[in-house]
Amino acid sequence: MMEILEYIGLAMVLIGGLFLFLGALGIYRMPDVYNRLQAGTKASTMGAMSVIMGVGFIEPDWFFKSLIIVVFIAIANPLSSHALARGAYRASLTPFMKKKMDAYEKEFQQKKED
Amino acid sequence: MKKLLVLLLLAVVGYSLYKPLSQVEFGADRIGDIENPTTVGAYYLSHTPSDLSVANVITAIVVNYRGFDTLGEVSVLFLAATGIGSILYRRRKEGEHSETITQPSSQLLQAGAKLIYPAILVLGAYVFIHGHLTPGGGFQGGAIIATGFLLMMMSYKDFHMNHTVLTWVESLAGITFVSVGIGGLIVGKTFLENFLAIGTLNDLFSGGIIPIIYIAVGFKVAAELAGVLDTLLSIKEK
Repeated sequence: MMEILEYIGLAMVLIGGLFLFLGALGIYRMPDVYNRLQAGTKASTMGAMSVIMGVGFIEPDWFFKSLIIVVFIAIANPLSSHALARGAYRASLTPFMKKKMDAYEKEFQQKKED
Repeated sequence: MKKLLVLLLLAVVGYSLYKPLSQVEFGADRIGDIENPTTVGAYYLSHTPSDLSVANVITAIVVNYRGFDTLGEVSVLFLAATGIGSILYRRRKEGEHSETITQPSSQLLQAGAKLIYPAILVLGAYVFIHGHLTPGGGFQGGAIIATGFLLMMMSYKDFHMNHTVLTWVESLAGITFVSVGIGGLIVGKTFLENFLAIGTLNDLFSGGIIPIIYIAVGFKVAAELAGVLDTLLSIKEK
């Protein structure tokens, strides 16, 4: 039983490491702030959650603690990336393919008029 | 001529730095035997668990062995906060609060900040209450609590610190620190002497006066930093 839990934990740590690597690659490869933010925060949310949960499986004593950390990351990480992206848009950083698609612009202009 | 003088001065400074440092053996074990200490560092490492029953040696050094110095640091922080306040604060009319944040933050951020804010406060309180057992302490815990207040200030436009409460908290914390020190002078021999029972190692209630002082420092730092942040965020640029 313990060994199965340990193998599950190790697999989760491996998956998390992979996601973190992909996130780092995304920050290097992507063209503008929004894409980089997307790659960085999405991948690092998944990666960090998976790694910490895996540690919780490997060491069952820490399971509850790691669960708390995962919940905190699940709240804080998307929130901060949202705030960053919104701040960047307000600071008038134009998206990479603005001409093709910019769904937020309408709402943004409307809010400005209010 | 001036350049020559600067070069000469630099040479003198460089030589006086090089001379003592060159005699220190690179990678040598300078702490020595911890069981039979010959240096100050080894003395702290060997005597902290038995004399003070404090698990975190750094806390023992900061609060107990050189507690007077920490009192000085706290007063430096107090002076810095007062200085910033006196430069930036201006008397406002009743109910007026000038803003630098012009647009309200998004609903998502407001809801999330409400969720995270109590957790940050609890973490900060945990860090300074357990300062003598785990890494961290009063200064760190106070800074964490101030970040919680900063999050609320940035998410809600009308979230403001009550400066009267902040002043009271700050003053009471400072008075606690100094009166604990004077208590050491009355009961024992020296200022800030550890006059309470030290308890057993790794207990929450251990270490004598160390947790009391660190809790006071935590409150003081949190109040000061929150006050500074509030003053900084409510200046009106013209």
